[in-house]
Amino acid sequence: MEKKIEVVHTYTKDVLLPIIKRVKSYMETEMKIDIFNVSEIAYPKNIHLKKNTIMLGTSGSIKLIITLGYDDILLNKLVEMFVDGDDVDDYESEEVRNSVACEISNTIIGNAIDNPIDNSDIYITPPVLVSEAKTLYKDKFSKFVFVTFATKYGDVQLTAVGPKEQFEEELDFKEI
Amino acid sequence: MLKVLIVDDSLVIRAKMKGYIKKLGHSVIGEAKDGQDAVLMNKQLSPDLITMDVSMPIMNGLEALKKIMETSNMEETNIIMITANGQDGIVKDALKSGAKGYILKPISEEKLQDSIGKIFPQYCIEDNDFLDENDLNEMLS
Repeated sequence: MEKKIEVVHTYTKDVLLPIIKRVKSYMETEMKIDIFNVSEIAYPKNIHLKKNTIMLGTSGSIKLIITLGYDDILLNKLVEMFVDGDDVDDYESEEVRNSVACEISNTIIGNAIDNPIDNSDIYITPPVLVSEAKTLYKDKFSKFVFVTFATKYGDVQLTAVGPKEQFEEELDFKEI
Repeated sequence: MLKVLIVDDSLVIRAKMKGYIKKLGHSVIGEAKDGQDAVLMNKQLSPDLITMDVSMPIMNGLEALKKIMETSNMEETNIIMITANGQDGIVKDALKSGAKGYILKPISEEKLQDSIGKIFPQYCIEDNDFLDENDLNEMLS
């Protein structure tokens, strides 16, 4: 008999849903790029990161590593929209691409992060670029959460990695 | 015209800020990539205004703000904090430490103009400072 999986996520809406909503609203409102599909939240055992992936960490009472990965064509479009009218001619195009990816990721996560556990402030590390595609494998003490946003230029991939007990006990993010 | 020091680790935000500041009629006298450089450049350049990112490597914006305020006249030092993270405690900490304002990212020319106008009322552009089409027609008739 197939094992029934029920996902209980009382606090999910307070931590991850604001991030999911902000990815969508940022792309649509700030960058004028429609998101035509948001995948279901998945809990994979490993994750293959995209070539253009930005990683940020949160500290305080919620400890997460969050990544946002962008397909090449989508990132080109984001760069075009972001630097429109700005003088970036003195910089290498790769530097500009990386800087835009970092800035967009930082703004999305910074705008959306909330703390439903104890309302204390959560600090966010400066964003870093993971320059080549890498695969993350889940340890028994960790948990992955994964969502994909589809646009006509390619996908945005959102991953949150954290201690298993944080998802299951504090965030009540449990698979039964 | 204000002399402005831009502090941000992001090159695209520095470029964007530079464009906005010039468009608003002010002058960019320096750019720092982290808080440590900002502290040094503030001493060397004595800007009228500093726009300071909160999240930066080496020394973050809140630490740099506190360092600058330790050695400056708080009344005369004008720092606008720029942050994506609008949580209450972080903003309150910045304002308590002497920041005169803050801008929540994404930044825009309007947000910057509004923040500058709150600190320097002489640069506050009211709607009635602009001539609309009716005013122009009246003047021409």
